[in-house]
Order: sequence, then structure tokens, then C-alpha cells
Amino acid sequence: MKKLILISAAIMTASYALADAPITGSVQSRCVVTTDTPGVYGNPNAYTLTTDPSDGGVLPIVRFDVTLADAYYAQITYPTEFTSSPSLSDTVTWTGSTEVSAVSDATGMGSYETDKTTFGETSQYDLTATGSTWFKTSSEATMGGNKAFPGGSYSATVEAKCIAQ
Amino acid sequence: MYRSVIISLFLLLISFSSYSHEMTPTYPKFKSSYMDGLLVTEMEIFNKRRDVAYYEIGVFDKDFEPIPFVSSYSVYKVDYLKKVSVEIYVRKKDEPSITYICSRSKVLKQRVSNTSVTSTICSKVRRGK
Repeated sequence: MKKLILISAAIMTASYALADAPITGSVQSRCVVTTDTPGVYGNPNAYTLTTDPSDGGVLPIVRFDVTLADAYYAQITYPTEFTSSPSLSDTVTWTGSTEVSAVSDATGMGSYETDKTTFGETSQYDLTATGSTWFKTSSEATMGGNKAFPGGSYSATVEAKCIAQ
Repeated sequence: MYRSVIISLFLLLISFSSYSHEMTPTYPKFKSSYMDGLLVTEMEIFNKRRDVAYYEIGVFDKDFEPIPFVSSYSVYKVDYLKKVSVEIYVRKKDEPSITYICSRSKVLKQRVSNTSVTSTICSKVRRGK
């Protein structure tokens, strides 16, 4: 009898231990910045580097996912200097722009591009709807005096900021 | 058949090639710390960027002017798919002007690709109860 009680108690304890596997989590508003496509510079002529796909470049694409409407701004800034490059003999002129590439909610996000504000190299979007927005940024660097870019590797950085309102 | 395989591969490629950066909460609050005259808040950074392992923390006013703060580090190492909790201490007298707490990805010079993306997420400090 005593043995039976002990075995039952052991089985009960074991089943209790097996059943107790909690998973906890919390949901909170957030903004997630994702690099969907890193850009690549094409070199259509000796003095130009551009992300324009028609010149062999690739446009960098950044995605913003927000889980709360009217709570965030997206600010995207195209580069104005190289983060690494060979030594350059002249100044470089930078141009660029950012525009909405795709949206997850055409109704709620359809006016993002027309409502954007631009200051300097930065484009700011008011993220008024929940979901994902893809932004593409173009960048072009032109060497002064139409001089040729020296051979080597060049890199520049796009800044993507998500700022809570 | 081939079309669906190609679409699946494309989606798989997209899911593997995207890298993201998260910081929560969106609206942190400062509370009293165990040190007199200092307030503390805790932020969490989640790194889903394979190309980034370091994030810089900053505290700013409404014009993005930096405000002094203390934390274990100013640049945190956050490995891929890991979360790091960051305690931020500020002076009580600075609290009224604190507006944003930001984390900014730091790309290592030797890992910079043709055009890399620096991601910054700024949470807005809420006051009151």
C-alpha cells in the first residue's frame, strides 16, 4: 500500500513537471528599421558613381514596420560623403533623393509620398498607419572638373531614423 | 510549378537578406534610482542585423542636442538575434529637457558595403505618472 502511494505521488510530480512549461511575452508598440536591400554604386562613366539601376547600380531599400499609428516619423538621409574611398584629388558633388517604394496598406499609406517634407538631404515621412513601408534612396557622386574617380572601392551610408512623436 | 518554386526562392532570399533593428519601449519613463539625484530608465535593444554588432546610445533634448547620461557603455555589443537591456541614468535636473533616447547602429569600417544603411531608433520620453 505504502509503495503504491509513493509510486502515485512520483507519477503526479512527474506529470506536474512535464506540464509546467510556460511561455511568456509582452506586446508593445515599436518601430523596426530593416535594410531590405543594400545599395550598389554603378560607374557609368569615369567621373560618376550612381545607384541608378539603368547605370548598373542598385538602389538601397529600407523598410519601416510600425505597430502604432501616428506615433513615428521616418527620416531618411542620402549620403554626402564616402565612408571609405581611395584618396580623391578633387571635391565630390552629391545628389540624391528618397521616395516610397511600396506600402503594405495602399489606403492608409497612399499619401505618404505627397505628404513628405524634405529638408536638405533628408526626407521625413509621418507614419500615420500601422504596417510596413519600403523607401528607396538614390545617390549619385560626381567628381569635380569631370576628373576620373581613382580605382578602388567606394562606400557611403544612408541614414534611416525612426523617431517617436 | 516552376513559377511557384521561383517565387518561394525569391521570398526566401528576401527573408534571409533583410536586417532589422528594434528598440523598446517607444515611450520610456524615468524613475528614481538608488542614487540620490539620479533617475533611471531601462531600454531594450534587439539586433536582427547580421551586418551590425554594435549600437550607440544617446540621450537628447527636443532639438537633438546631447544631454549627459551614464550607462555601462555608450556603445553596446549586441550579437545577432540577441537582446540587450540598457540602464540609463540621468541627473534629476536634466530630466525636464530630456526628449529622446536613441540607439544608432555602428557599422565597422571593414564591413561597410557599397552603400550601407545606418539605422537609428529614437524613443520619446514620457513624463508624469
